[in-house]
Amino acid sequence: MGNRKTYNPKEWVEQYGDYLYGFALARVQDPSIAEDIVQETFLAALHSLKNFKGRSSERTWLTGILKHKIVDYYRKKAKEQPVDDIEYHLETLDEIFDENGQWKVKPAKWAADPQKLYEEREFMKVLHNCLSELSSRLSSAFILREMIGESTEEICKVLNISATNLWVMLYRARMYLRRCLEINWFATDIVEDA
Amino acid sequence: MNHWMFKCKEVTRMVSESLDRKLPLYQRIGVRIHLLMCKFCSRFKKQLLFLRETIRLHVERGKDTELSTKLPPEARERIRKSIQNNSFKPK
Repeated sequence: MGNRKTYNPKEWVEQYGDYLYGFALARVQDPSIAEDIVQETFLAALHSLKNFKGRSSERTWLTGILKHKIVDYYRKKAKEQPVDDIEYHLETLDEIFDENGQWKVKPAKWAADPQKLYEEREFMKVLHNCLSELSSRLSSAFILREMIGESTEEICKVLNISATNLWVMLYRARMYLRRCLEINWFATDIVEDA
Repeated sequence: MNHWMFKCKEVTRMVSESLDRKLPLYQRIGVRIHLLMCKFCSRFKKQLLFLRETIRLHVERGKDTELSTKLPPEARERIRKSIQNNSFKPK
């Protein structure tokens, strides 16, 4: 029935290699890991060619497999570090709030536009540096949530943690990243409040 | 300065949580009232949303801009070979 889509694995690397690699690299931040994930994706796709119904484009189908592989990477990573220091960034909170829970280091005014900022190489570099300073579990949680867009239910399964635990981890990750970016990127734009 | 019932530290935690789940009603109301009165917490919330949006744009569209990365030639070759080797496996 209809036009069964044809696929040509020999052309995959040429057609989709850069796209999938860019997709993976933005989400794992490590070139060699991104390369491996792309390779695994193509091999997994080869094995399930018969499942490809041609309802979506070949690229969409491959991207779906790639996304699974990226999540798998974080799943394995979480298993390798059974007990991690989610307490690690508590000191950020202590530096920012006083004992009464009021702001000690107040958030500064940021003058920037996401529409422009995301294209700035330097900003993304600073963001990735800040991310790399997070403990491994916190950064995995943050990346799964904000860069891969997984639901919190799914992330809890992947990292094998409770929802409450995840909320705390995401909170600490965001607090740390916000402060780190403020110091390392927005510092020049900071307008002191009276 | 106490803004209604929640402290800034608690509000930041709830603001973060609100990005991941729907908060219970009393928290939603408490946070909303607090934000109306506290410019720093309200700025904090804007910044978290700002970060979310910037990152989303980066991962979704970054690949179509000058940020786009190329699969390195060696990896390209290696992957091409592994596809070839696996394609010819007898069934």
